[in-house]
Amino acid sequence: MTPAHDRQIPAARFRQIVMRNDVLAGLLFCAIAVLGLLISRDYPVGTALRMGTGYVPHLLCWMLLALGAAVLLQGLRTTETERPQASDASAWRPLIFVSTSLVLFGLCIERLGLVVSILLLTGVGALAARGLGFLETMAAACVLVALSWAIFILGLGLAIPVWPEW
Amino acid sequence: MDLFQNLALGFGVALTPANLFFALVGALIGTLIGVLPGIGPIATIAMLLPLTFHLEPTSGLIMLAGIFYGAQYGGSTTAILVNLPGETSSVVTCIDGHQMARQGRAGAALAVAALGSFFAGCVSTLLIAMFAPPLAIVGQSFGAPEYFSLMVLGLIAAVVLAHGSVLKAIAMIVLGLLVGLVGTDGNTGATRFTFGIVELTDGIDVATLAIGIFGIGEIITNLSQPPETRSLVSQKITRLWPTREDFRRAWPAVLRGTSLGSILGVLPGGGATLSSFAAYALEKRSSRHPGEFGRGAVEGVAGPESANNAGAQTSFIPMLTLGIPGNAVMALMIGALTIHGIRPGPQIMTERPEMFWGMIASMWIGNLMLLIINLPLIGMWVQLLKVPYRFLYLAVLLFCAIGVYTVSNSAVAVLLAALFGVAGYVFTRVDCEPAPMILGFVLGPLMEDNLRRAMRISSGDPMIFLQRPISLGLLLAVLALCVLVALPAIRSKREEAFQE
Repeated sequence: MTPAHDRQIPAARFRQIVMRNDVLAGLLFCAIAVLGLLISRDYPVGTALRMGTGYVPHLLCWMLLALGAAVLLQGLRTTETERPQASDASAWRPLIFVSTSLVLFGLCIERLGLVVSILLLTGVGALAARGLGFLETMAAACVLVALSWAIFILGLGLAIPVWPEW
Repeated sequence: MDLFQNLALGFGVALTPANLFFALVGALIGTLIGVLPGIGPIATIAMLLPLTFHLEPTSGLIMLAGIFYGAQYGGSTTAILVNLPGETSSVVTCIDGHQMARQGRAGAALAVAALGSFFAGCVSTLLIAMFAPPLAIVGQSFGAPEYFSLMVLGLIAAVVLAHGSVLKAIAMIVLGLLVGLVGTDGNTGATRFTFGIVELTDGIDVATLAIGIFGIGEIITNLSQPPETRSLVSQKITRLWPTREDFRRAWPAVLRGTSLGSILGVLPGGGATLSSFAAYALEKRSSRHPGEFGRGAVEGVAGPESANNAGAQTSFIPMLTLGIPGNAVMALMIGALTIHGIRPGPQIMTERPEMFWGMIASMWIGNLMLLIINLPLIGMWVQLLKVPYRFLYLAVLLFCAIGVYTVSNSAVAVLLAALFGVAGYVFTRVDCEPAPMILGFVLGPLMEDNLRRAMRISSGDPMIFLQRPISLGLLLAVLALCVLVALPAIRSKREEAFQE
C-alpha cells in the first residue's frame, strides 16, 4: 500500500472500501438473508424427519448469510487497487424510467387496455435513454401498438383488453 | 436397431408441416434477435418463452430450441461483422472472425462458421440420440438421496466451470433457491414469503424471474453504459464461398471443435461458452502457425464455432435425461416443460417418446434450416445490425411486459418483473452473474422435495447421503470440485483460462 493511501481522509477511504464490488455484494447478500430470517421467523421449523414450513427457508437463509459474510470479508481483505468505476450517475435514469414504465404498464393493462398501456410504456420508457426525440417516440409507439396488436391479438388470439373498459 | 427406430419416430414428428413451421419460425426469430445487438440468448428465450405457451408442448419446445440455436448463430454473425459478440459463447469468434471480415473475407468467415456449426449440429444430434437412452436408465434407478446429491453436484459444477467468483455464484444459487420457495409449501400447505399477496401463493413463474433479471436487467445495464461505437464492416460481402485453402485449414479445426464441444457440453456448467473458449485455446496451441491467430486465422473461427454449437446441443442431454439443467438456458427449458405440465426427468423418454425424439430430430432440421436461412439472407441480417439500440430497447421492453403479463395473466407479475429487473441490474453492477440464480430457482422446489423424501427414508438421519454409494460418489465429486477451486495454483490457472 502506498503512503498516499494512509494520508487519505478516513471518510474517503471508508467510502472507497464500501464501494468495492465484493463489499457491496456481501452486504447485499447478508441483508437479504437477514430479511428472509425476519420474515420466516414464525414459520414452524420442525425436525429433519418432519420438516416444517420453515426448515428449508431457515437453512438457506443461514447459508446465504455465511456466504455473504465470506464475500464481504473477501472484499475487505483485497489489497489490489480498485479499478476505476464508471460513474453511477448515468444509471439512475434508466433504472427509474424503465422500472416505472413497467409498473405503469402492469397497473393499466387490465383496466385501460393494451393501446393506452403501450403508449404509457413507450412514453415513460423513452425517457430512459438520451437522444430519443418526441417525434421519434411517437412513431415508435405507433409502430409498437400496431405490431403487438398484430402479434398478440390477431396472431395469438390472446384475451387482453385492447381498449379501456368503460 | 433401436436408434434408427427412435430417430424415425422423431423425424416423423418433426417433419409434420406444423412442427416444421415452428422450427423455421423459431430459427428465424432466434437469428433475428441474436443478430440485434444488446440482447443475449437468455434474454431472448426468456422474452419469447410466453409465445410458446400457447402451442402444443412438442411444438412449443421445438420452437424454443429453434430460438436457442438461432440466437446462438445470430450471435456469431454480429461477432464476425461488427466485432460485437451477441453473447459470451461467440466472444472468441470476434478475435479472428472480425479480422477476417476486415480483410474482406467476411463471407468466407460466415460460411465457415455456418458449415462448421452445421457439421457439429449433425454430430451432436447423433450423440444425443445414442447416449440419452442409457443415461435415462441410470437416472431411473436413482432414489431421492441420489437425486439430491446429483442436484448439488450439478449446481456446484455449474458455477465452478463458469467464469467469475465461485463464492458469489454459490450465493446467487442460494438466493435463487430462496426465491424458488416463494408460494405454497407443497408438503404442509402453508404459504411462505408471500407478503399476503394472493397472486404469490402459486409461486413466482420462471418466465417472470427470467424476463425481469435478464430482459429488463439487460436493458437497464445497456442504457447505463455510454453508447458503443460500432465498427461495422461496410464493404459489401461479395464472395461467400471459402477458398480451397480455407477449407483445407478449417476442416480439422471443425473436427476438433466438434469433439471438444460435444464432451464439454454434457458437463454441468459447460455448454456453448466453455466449449468455444476451450476450442480456441486448443486451436491456438495445436496450430503450426500460432502467430496468425488474432490476425484472421480461419481455424480461430471454425474451431470455436463448431464447438459452441456442439456444446449447446449436447447440453440438452443432462436436461432431457436427468432433469438437471447445466446452464441458464436449460433451466429455462425446464421451466417451459414444467409450465406445459411435463415433469423433466428420465421418465420423459418413456412417457413422451414422440416429444423427446421429435425435439431431437428437429434439432438437426433446425441446423439445416439455419444454414439455408443464413447464407443467402446475410445481407438482410447486416441491415438489421444498423438499428440503433435506442429504438430497439423500447420494443424489447414492451415484449417483456406483454410476455410477463400473458404468462401469468396477472398485473402483479409485471410489477414483480420490474423489481427483478432492478435486482438484475444491481447484481450485474456488483459483478454477480445472475445466471446461477435461475439454476437455483428451477431446482429449488425439486431439491426440497427430494431432501424431504430422503429424510423420510432415513428417519431424519442426514448420514444417508454418505451411506448410499452413488450419492456418496456424487458428493465426493462436489468436494473434489470445491477443493480444486480453493487450491491457489488452480485458482490462478482458472482465472487465466477465462482471461484468454
